[in-house]
Amino acid sequence: MSLYQLHRCVYDWVRAGEVNSADGGAGREDFDASVYELTDEERRAFDDKDVAAFYQLGLHQVLLNRFARAAGFARDDYRKLLEPFATTDGRKGRWQT
Amino acid sequence: MADIALAYAASHAPMMSSARMAAPAEQRENFFGALDFIRTEAVRRGVEACVVFSNEHFTNFFLENFPQNCIGVGEKNWGPTEEWLPIDKVWIPGHPGLANHIARHTLDSGFDPAFSHQLELDHGIMTVYYELDHDMQLPLVPIVQNCAVPPLMPVRRAYEFGRAVGDAIRSYTGLKKVAIVGAGGLSHWIGNPRVGDIEETFDRWFLERLARGELEDILDMPDSEIELAGNGNHEMRSWLAVAGAVAPVKATPLAYEPVYPWITGMAVAHWETLEEGTAGAAGEADGDRTEETRV
Repeated sequence: MSLYQLHRCVYDWVRAGEVNSADGGAGREDFDASVYELTDEERRAFDDKDVAAFYQLGLHQVLLNRFARAAGFARDDYRKLLEPFATTDGRKGRWQT
Repeated sequence: MADIALAYAASHAPMMSSARMAAPAEQRENFFGALDFIRTEAVRRGVEACVVFSNEHFTNFFLENFPQNCIGVGEKNWGPTEEWLPIDKVWIPGHPGLANHIARHTLDSGFDPAFSHQLELDHGIMTVYYELDHDMQLPLVPIVQNCAVPPLMPVRRAYEFGRAVGDAIRSYTGLKKVAIVGAGGLSHWIGNPRVGDIEETFDRWFLERLARGELEDILDMPDSEIELAGNGNHEMRSWLAVAGAVAPVKATPLAYEPVYPWITGMAVAHWETLEEGTAGAAGEADGDRTEETRV
């Protein structure tokens, strides 16, 4: 079990529905997530298309964004799902001084 | 030897294509007006091919193998891959001669770029490339950068790699006029609770530094500081590669618009690489927009 398996599963699901050069792949409808070694929590997150759970599990944010877009979440919708996990960063960049 | 006849960078938010009309009209007109100017200049200057830097979004590479730079050396590449992006899915001509020359030259210069004989191009390159050539026939050498998965190459390294790419283009004998393009940035957040935020102060600071040629302020930024203007801000590497390719030329920002419906600080900047009076391949400019700053 590893977070890699979750990443690979989500990545493959996103790419399955895209318009790739090689005949477009099999699509997402028949995607088989059982072949990935996911924890119960990871599998539940994938089955439920649970963006907030993905975020908490540590899914890479670029991949999370791609997943959200492919799964039909509008940006405002998925921001609302993630806002409860926002943290404050008190650091400042050099452009802010 | 080839001239870098056109050098520019532009933001590549996919919504500029998929939700174009969601942006306020003035912002839309300013941003696309700058890209229209660039497209007109490309034709006027007789650009024969383009080299486009942009970042990998988990389209070609995944965690098993993630190069910092990958040069597309093939005869053709495919894109865009996103099913929802309203740009025709087509084979785009590459330019193996130029691409392999860049690969050879950068290897000889101390860099270790990967190469690919066929890349799948997503919105990162395709949105900006489409605005350069709506027919998508201009030969394209894509250079895909890692701007997302740590450890990332330092931004100074991206700048220096760009300089080597610029030298490669200028030493290539197979073409006369080449465009070099950066696609990405500026500030934005994706996949986290701050998606939708824009750090306008950073964006204006960044563009000012490019315009003044004060790059040292940027080139020593660690990733932890870059991310204060968004995890998408790592895409500044595409801009800095262009800056390196044409150094010491300074940038002229053509447009800056914080487009909240597109969740991104949207900018276009141009580096004038040709001496005054030599820019036109076909005489005087025929467009009604001259290079100007509207930021």
